[in-house]
Amino acid sequence: MADHKLLEVSDLKMHFHTRDGVVKAVDGVSFDLDCGETLGVVGESGSGKSVSAMTLMRLIPMPPGRIEGGEALFKGKSLLTMSDADMRAIRGNEIAMIFQDPMTSLNPVYRIGKQLAEPLQLHKGMNRKQAETRAAELLDLVGIPHASSRIKDYPHQFSGGMRQRVMIAMALANDPDILIADEPTTALDVTIQAQIIELMEELQERTNAAIIMITHDLGVVADMADRILVMYAGRAVEYGTVDEVFYQPHHPYTWGLMDSLPRPDMTVKGVLCPIKGQPPSLIHVPGGCSFNPRCPYAKERCRIETPLLRNIDGTHMAACHFAGTPGFTRGEMECAGVSA
Amino acid sequence: MSSVADEISQDVTEAAGGPERAPERSRTLWSDAWYRLRRNRMALAALTWLFIVVIAAVSADLWVPQHYGSPNFINTATATATALKGPTAQHPMGTDDLGRDVFSRVVYGARISLMVGVAAVLVMVLIGLLLGALSGFYGGLMDAGIMRVADVFLAFPYILFAILLLSVIPGAKQSLWPVIVTIGLLGWPSIARVFRSSILSVKESDYIEAGRAIGAGDARLMLRHMLPNAIAPIVVYATMSVGGAILTEAALSFLNLGVQPDPVKSPNIVTWGRMISDGQSYLTSNPGLILWPGLAILSTVLAFTLLGDGVRDALDVKMKD
Repeated sequence: MADHKLLEVSDLKMHFHTRDGVVKAVDGVSFDLDCGETLGVVGESGSGKSVSAMTLMRLIPMPPGRIEGGEALFKGKSLLTMSDADMRAIRGNEIAMIFQDPMTSLNPVYRIGKQLAEPLQLHKGMNRKQAETRAAELLDLVGIPHASSRIKDYPHQFSGGMRQRVMIAMALANDPDILIADEPTTALDVTIQAQIIELMEELQERTNAAIIMITHDLGVVADMADRILVMYAGRAVEYGTVDEVFYQPHHPYTWGLMDSLPRPDMTVKGVLCPIKGQPPSLIHVPGGCSFNPRCPYAKERCRIETPLLRNIDGTHMAACHFAGTPGFTRGEMECAGVSA
Repeated sequence: MSSVADEISQDVTEAAGGPERAPERSRTLWSDAWYRLRRNRMALAALTWLFIVVIAAVSADLWVPQHYGSPNFINTATATATALKGPTAQHPMGTDDLGRDVFSRVVYGARISLMVGVAAVLVMVLIGLLLGALSGFYGGLMDAGIMRVADVFLAFPYILFAILLLSVIPGAKQSLWPVIVTIGLLGWPSIARVFRSSILSVKESDYIEAGRAIGAGDARLMLRHMLPNAIAPIVVYATMSVGGAILTEAALSFLNLGVQPDPVKSPNIVTWGRMISDGQSYLTSNPGLILWPGLAILSTVLAFTLLGDGVRDALDVKMKD
């Protein structure tokens, strides 16, 4: 295990072959992950965050999906080529996943306890009674009061936040090495979001699981993540530690993301600075840098040559021709006046 | 429990309105449905009637005027004296051309009708669920193949197909199996179609994906996660189909194709369809010979249809009050 990290993803490509053409949902994503580490994956809707995660779990139906290249090594074994049976043994056991919408992710016909028991029965070979006893402990662990009586309830008797706690308990049932959280707080209201994140952090400390946190909420990752991967149009555009990405972002897209956030120190009230234009269609990705049509700094070179993700300083990587060039810096809120 | 979890649970407890939990009984879809079904008068009446018919058929030997085994039931020698009589205290529905008690025969007839009806529906549900599930779950070629076979089955004229099947399926004419298998084979395509569409709508649910994400295999996903969520329309359809199967059985018996008495081994086998067929010749002189088995068929089939209606309303969550 010495020469392998927990998870190494290199140049992962997942394309969908549809009637309208090839959708390059994930087009070259690389990152790696160590035990106890949290990776935040951020980007707009359709930037390939979820598809990347689902590809690692092999939950993308193929066809229409097709892995066009790249590699994903989990403890040195390839997740992309292992047999379905081996993959099933990993899912919910060594790699677990939490979904976006807790309201629909629990099976409505089964009691909470039975659902919590399922991963234990599947992977730990527990019988029903052992598994349900453990289920009550897990429910207690994620902070549901009266856990031993609550396991007899049905999902519809739980609120959204409580259901997400149940999903987290299910995901953590077998002490996974990696927990993939696909926008776990998006469907919840803000106070519950904070509770869920706190809970995940506290459970991570206890189990030393690595977390891949997929979100479009920069606030969430700033709080939680050790490293951040910024995605745009299926590609990684910036990758680095939280401090690197937040304090010295190199990619114009990341600048745009930061500027579009409301900040407490903003002087002009009510004026945000959105990134102009729409995310590109993943069937007709613009030539060169896929961000060039929306990039205020785009030059001729950006329309012709596709920039590669490269080291700018130390571990900080960005996919921009000009990143790291002296003088190439973020304009000071240029758009403040163009808000209308 | 750790302090953080304690804190969190404190918050949740407060949000839930205090530490005491109301001792509310957990309600399932099925217990809800049973509750609603009991409040539906038509369904309740149908259920009561079917209950009476089943009890009567099962316990017939204990109380009917003429037993299967009794001489009067089969003895043609003494028959002419008692044949074709109107209703009396001893024979509440009169006697037929062989002097047999019509009431006893109607009660015994319920046995075959119910057995064939229920067993045939079980056969069609088993085939239909299996093929419908495979079709909906895997899609593609499997789906196309199964659905085309179903289309072929539905394209045949019903009775002609039944006659064809009955002549092909091995088994004694006195046995129930050929009829059960025939009706089952005729009925599965509809069940498969209904179940396929219901699987298709359940398949895309988040909880199926979540089930996959905890490592459940195809068989487990289908049996444990999809089946309970997709079965409701099948329960409704199957309940109504029992009535249909009873009608088909009666029609086949009427055409002398269904279960038939063997003069030596089982002279006493009674089916409602056969009774109507036998009574045809006395339509004007003794209409009771057709009326009583006809009423038996009508009331039983109607009861299954009404019950199916009630089950449908009971399982319809949108009507929840």
